[in-house]
Amino acid sequence: MAPTKTIKNKHAANKSGIKGSKDAERSRNDGVLKSKGKPKSKTHTLVTANKGRPNIQELIARKQKKKKYSEKELAGMIPELNMITPVGVTKPKGKKKGKVFVDDKESMATILAIVQAEKEGQIESKMIKARQMEEIREARRAEADKKEAERKARLEETKDSLRKKRKRSKSQGGKGDDDDSRDVKEFSSAGTKAVKSKKKKSVSFAAPE
Amino acid sequence: MRPLTETEQKTVFEKLANYCTDLKSLIAPLDDGDRYVFRLNHSRVYYVRLSVANLATSVSRDALLSLGTCLGKMTKTGKFRLHITALPILSEHARHKIWVKDNGAQPFLYGSNVVKAHVGRWSEDCPEHSGVVVYSMADIPLGFGVTARSTTEARRLDPTGIVCFRQSDCGEYLRDEDTLFAG
Repeated sequence: MAPTKTIKNKHAANKSGIKGSKDAERSRNDGVLKSKGKPKSKTHTLVTANKGRPNIQELIARKQKKKKYSEKELAGMIPELNMITPVGVTKPKGKKKGKVFVDDKESMATILAIVQAEKEGQIESKMIKARQMEEIREARRAEADKKEAERKARLEETKDSLRKKRKRSKSQGGKGDDDDSRDVKEFSSAGTKAVKSKKKKSVSFAAPE
Repeated sequence: MRPLTETEQKTVFEKLANYCTDLKSLIAPLDDGDRYVFRLNHSRVYYVRLSVANLATSVSRDALLSLGTCLGKMTKTGKFRLHITALPILSEHARHKIWVKDNGAQPFLYGSNVVKAHVGRWSEDCPEHSGVVVYSMADIPLGFGVTARSTTEARRLDPTGIVCFRQSDCGEYLRDEDTLFAG
């Protein structure tokens, strides 16, 4: 009867449910201590009687006694999980928790100097870039102006040459000029498709029987 | 209320450096031995005398509405937004300036951008997308913004072309009255 009782009590005694916890440890010890003077000492007397056979409690204790690994050992044994840990989650060990405030004059001045130097550099480079771009634009504009002037000059030249031609033809007798005006009149009266309209199309129908 | 962290301080200085040339004078010691410091309360950044900030520690965070000059707001993403309340500090150390004519002051104060037709004069050698403080022709600061074009480019712009994108104007004192210091 007694041994079975102790086995049943194994769970009852370990109230915390955690192996090796303080609570569990105490309860195990309690059983041994209480066994001295109290009526529960039945188990103790039984244990002493069965000295030759291995005690069940000892077996359980041996079973429960497992090797405890330190964190360092575990880190070496267990492979690391291939997980993504966000940057904010992993906090460096041994570092002080919380924010680091900047309130003293020196650190504020250093931050300010760094920021100002950075900004000045940025603005300077921006201005240099803008100036270069402006120069390029100016050059392009000058080139475009030059081309435009050239084109205009050429146009004027051709105009002048045409005018000179007309004057020359007029001075010769004005015959060519008349021809030109007649052609224009013809075109304006008949249109450009007048040649096609000369041939009249006719449609014939079969006579009814 | 607490001092700023290093990153916060950096973002605040970076933003201020867009508009101001001389930041050192902001934190320079005063004649009476006092100096100005930055404090954060309810995500608002205040520019305040150290002696006043020390006095303010006796007021609980919730009860403290404002102290010193409210420079702006730290967003939840860690950026810093300047408020119109920072204008006196910005105008004192402004890097670039634009003066708007009287006919352009009202549209600007109602929240529109500055067009070329409204510009009376502007500082030379101003690159595009740089911070600028907007003044009336009587040298009264009206707000601040970001240049849309460089000075040379803006010269060739048509009169309706935008020269400066508005960031903040004095009209916000009325328009954003309820959200300027809280909320």
